[in-house]
Amino acid sequence: MNKLSRVLIANRGEIAVRIIGACKALGIESIVAVSEADRSSLPARMADRSLCIGPPPARDSYLNVNTLIAAALGTGSDAIHPGYGFLAEQPELAETCEKHHIAFIGPSAKSIHQMGNKLLARQIAEESGIPTLPGSEKVRDIKGAIAAAEKIGFPIILKAAAGGGGRGMKVVESPDLLRSVFDTLSAEVQSAFGDGTLFLEHFVPNARHIEVQILGDHFGNIIHLGERDCSIQRRYQKMIEEAPSPVVSPQLREQICEAAVTMARKIKYENAGTIEFILDQDNGRYYFLEMNTRIQVEHPVTEQITGIDLVQEQIKIADHQPLSFSQESVRFRGHAIECRINAESPFSGFQPSPGRIEQWAPPQNSAIRVDSHCYAGYFVPPYYDSLLAKVITSGDDRSQAIERMHFALDHFTLSGVESTIPFLQLLLKRPEYLSGKIHTGWVEKVVLPEIGGVK
Amino acid sequence: MSKEKGAISLTDDEIIEIIKLVEESDFDELHLETENLKLTVGKGLTCPHDQGAGLSQTTQRQTFVQEEPTPEKVSQADSPTGAMTSAPDTRKAEPEPPAVVEEEGLIPIEAPLLGTFYRSPEPGAPPFVDVGTAVTEDDTVCLIEVMKLFTGVKAGVKGRIAKICVENNQMVEYQQTLFFVEPEE
Repeated sequence: MNKLSRVLIANRGEIAVRIIGACKALGIESIVAVSEADRSSLPARMADRSLCIGPPPARDSYLNVNTLIAAALGTGSDAIHPGYGFLAEQPELAETCEKHHIAFIGPSAKSIHQMGNKLLARQIAEESGIPTLPGSEKVRDIKGAIAAAEKIGFPIILKAAAGGGGRGMKVVESPDLLRSVFDTLSAEVQSAFGDGTLFLEHFVPNARHIEVQILGDHFGNIIHLGERDCSIQRRYQKMIEEAPSPVVSPQLREQICEAAVTMARKIKYENAGTIEFILDQDNGRYYFLEMNTRIQVEHPVTEQITGIDLVQEQIKIADHQPLSFSQESVRFRGHAIECRINAESPFSGFQPSPGRIEQWAPPQNSAIRVDSHCYAGYFVPPYYDSLLAKVITSGDDRSQAIERMHFALDHFTLSGVESTIPFLQLLLKRPEYLSGKIHTGWVEKVVLPEIGGVK
Repeated sequence: MSKEKGAISLTDDEIIEIIKLVEESDFDELHLETENLKLTVGKGLTCPHDQGAGLSQTTQRQTFVQEEPTPEKVSQADSPTGAMTSAPDTRKAEPEPPAVVEEEGLIPIEAPLLGTFYRSPEPGAPPFVDVGTAVTEDDTVCLIEVMKLFTGVKAGVKGRIAKICVENNQMVEYQQTLFFVEPEE
């Protein structure tokens, strides 16, 4: 370890636990910033120190750049790890870190800004020779939108340039629907992101979501760690992820991973990042979707099949250590699946279910990994996202990983709050999941209507 | 925590959370009764059991909390598991100052935000307050600075500064106790 000796973790929940664990493994002091609601959380108890940065609402605590910088400076921290969500992809935090000579454990503010603007990211992908979906430039008004949509061909997806991750986007099947949706979406997006810029892309109904993990160090070395398949989604929120993708051939893998590395090289990307693609299962083609300039929730499946600790690598990269392995030395072994367990009632419209956990006994054996901040007696606060835990299973092949996930979910003792475990169990037993005949609309368009649940 | 059916015990954190939820709601009072606990949280003008603390009058509404064990009381409410009942009020909720908990007769002044604590309006100037200084609710007792943005912290209570808990130029966390005030009767 060169310079970094104290990291401020500007996040909470399972990812804060994850980052603190990585710091401990590297012999680095961990300081976790907590809101009042998280004062006695597991991260607060694990870290070398915790400090209270504000009241429970995220906008007064985890989203407050100035407070986090003051907390880092006041504790003599060398670096800030933003986790995912919150300020991880707000250029302001990275910029302010740079200004105060605090290492930001992530890419440069410039990369965050470039990839944060989804229209700009698309343009950069095009310039790099990476396939992109038929799409438009900025559409200024309903007339322009309809003209662009007719050129691309319905159905289209109307997207906010400042959005991403499922936010600020709407699938539109016809010109009339476009008329009714355009102004509302524009206003919503302006209000949510401060930028009402909209553009259009062709919508692929029979798609898979394939994303590639990359790592770039301070010296320009960029490698990929293979792809993940995150096609099981509801309202753009991923529910189950796996690595490798069951439908990606070795040739396609090579092409997609090379495209991802090309993109990262083009913007001289540093630290961990993920390039997302849409795979059109009707024509077998892949298209750039967006790039996420942060560590992702589903990073464990990549870790399981490569044996590489991504969060430790993030910290080392921020410490200006060169990558300790080359592309050639990266090995992929077996198959890994992750299920996100949320505090939601899946059969009541996925209504959030905060409250006190009574029983908490996750499954444990050598093929099961559980990333979580929860424990028996923990009060799940209502202020933040509902993720309770990530259950990850590994196997020599996909069917073994699936079998182990069946076992893991069947043996997860959880009471006190509602969880999505029963729904995940259901999905993992469906023939389409087992045979791989799914697409990104499968949960919402096929499964939920069939089981009669509210979407 | 008690595992008896219907029995609840609350930690300080949970009480704080309940207070916040009531403060931010349109409700004026919350009464919770279970087999072993009676909890009242309210936004009334006076705290019924508390004579001191100067909580009354129209200029200041305080949130009060009473927690009493009720060993014999069987919950007679609609729900045997101790569900909450509350008395809704049609008056609009106003922003409330943080709940005040007395400690040995002294009232803490807590940091409303994280930042650097300054005892004086500027370097070299005399401090806002010293031990013994008389303060009223609206008097500024210190500054907290975050990235060059300064916030004045008001006493929020009438009395005399009894104790200064933080050093000048020190970083303070949200809700960290800055001063103790001996309240005026």
